[in-house]
Amino acid sequence: MSKARRDSDSAGSASTPPADIVRVNFEFRRELARKVEGNLAGFCYQCGACVGDCPSATYGGGFNPREIMLKVLYGLGEELLTEDSILWQCTNCYNCHERCPQDVKPVEVIISLKNMLSDLGIYPDNVDKVIKAFEETGRTTPVNPAVQRQRERFGLPPLPPVPVDEIRQLIEPDNAEPRAGARADADKGGTE
Amino acid sequence: MNRFAFFPGCLIPARHPAMEFAIRHTLPKLGIEIVDLEGASCCPDPIYFKSKDKLSWLSVAARNLTLAEDLGLDIFTNCSGCTATLSETYHLLEDETLRAQVNERLSKIGRTYQATSRVRHIATLVRDVAGYDAVRESVVRPLEGLKVAIHYGCHLLKPSRIMQVDDPNNPTVMENLVTALGATPVRHRNWYLCCGKACQTEQVPDDMMHDLLGTVNEEEADILCMICPTCFGQFDHGQMKVSRKFDEDFHTPPIYYFQLLAFAQGVPYDKLGFERQRFKPECLRRFETAPQPAGDPAHTGAQGKNSA
Repeated sequence: MSKARRDSDSAGSASTPPADIVRVNFEFRRELARKVEGNLAGFCYQCGACVGDCPSATYGGGFNPREIMLKVLYGLGEELLTEDSILWQCTNCYNCHERCPQDVKPVEVIISLKNMLSDLGIYPDNVDKVIKAFEETGRTTPVNPAVQRQRERFGLPPLPPVPVDEIRQLIEPDNAEPRAGARADADKGGTE
Repeated sequence: MNRFAFFPGCLIPARHPAMEFAIRHTLPKLGIEIVDLEGASCCPDPIYFKSKDKLSWLSVAARNLTLAEDLGLDIFTNCSGCTATLSETYHLLEDETLRAQVNERLSKIGRTYQATSRVRHIATLVRDVAGYDAVRESVVRPLEGLKVAIHYGCHLLKPSRIMQVDDPNNPTVMENLVTALGATPVRHRNWYLCCGKACQTEQVPDDMMHDLLGTVNEEEADILCMICPTCFGQFDHGQMKVSRKFDEDFHTPPIYYFQLLAFAQGVPYDKLGFERQRFKPECLRRFETAPQPAGDPAHTGAQGKNSA
């Protein structure tokens, strides 16, 4: 970016704006702010305290919580909300939450972004599998006869079924909540 | 007797019942009465379901908390993930707007969240309610000479302002719990690393586990002790996977703290389900043959024939 800016500056052509100028997408930011704690990136001053202890930044190739917060500030949703989103490299270790001097809670902003991915119906298969198991049984670990036999061996009572009907009522989207930007088929992708 | 509502979650009761057995065996010996919660669901998990919809996640978590509120008891968890969800829910629902939103959903099933039940991780329950001395006094097989590497995991400690468990930069609770068993805790250089289970790529957790297990090997620890069932999986089958991938000999048996406590309290090795682990803590067997303190009712020398 800096090289391109220098080139255009030195060319001295004031008539055409630099091609890499960033226009903030406020609609994306407004939609993110509707998620629980999705508005916190607004406090980010790009100090980078979140990066040093981030396992995915240390061991991965390209995951950087500060850059993700910067993209959120610019509203670059199209770079974050992709089929192969880098957001899924987050280990959810909460080091960034611990380190941030501004209480941005980068991990929570990342999870809010994942909520937007869910609205779009873009989900890794293994994530979807666990969510479906929860929505169908109220548990994320399957209970089967082998599990119940194991429990019996340890003198433990069988695991009772979870009142799934109550869970379903709780996770139905509120009609009152605006879900702007969500595609019409988004909910079908994530539920049932 | 101190009474607490037990929130067992999913992973321990449905995949690691030996851990649940150990909890139910050990806590009463420390003066803690376990009260079962009827109708509890998944916490829900702070990785997968939370990433779908935080408000739904909060609503289900709040429902679980209301089950303990009905009993007028504080709630304790045996899994760091469940603790993360329930503690964060308790924290976030101090916000009146959010609490109103959640209670509107709960009203559909005739419930109201009132924030009257505190959330405690089982490690802090033992530390703060029973005390380390009670642990020490409950031990009939002091694990003298056992070198125990400790893996804290992430969600027990962080975010510290919400979890309120220990200093995330220099925690002591696990070291003290291990010391109370007569064993020697070992802090390896990469003690603070994450287990990587929640990361949806393979390369990041594999490389991280490789570094972590390397420093555990340097310390020549007998076992690797942890407090989270998700971490346990990473250090059991995950350790085998990383060993193969890097063609290196990683071999430290992982063990959930309360199974170690149960063993130290006299439960026979063969009753603790270790045969299901990839890496078996056979090193513990030497304490079974050690002389027992005289007159101890927990003496169990005649047992242990159903070995796997």
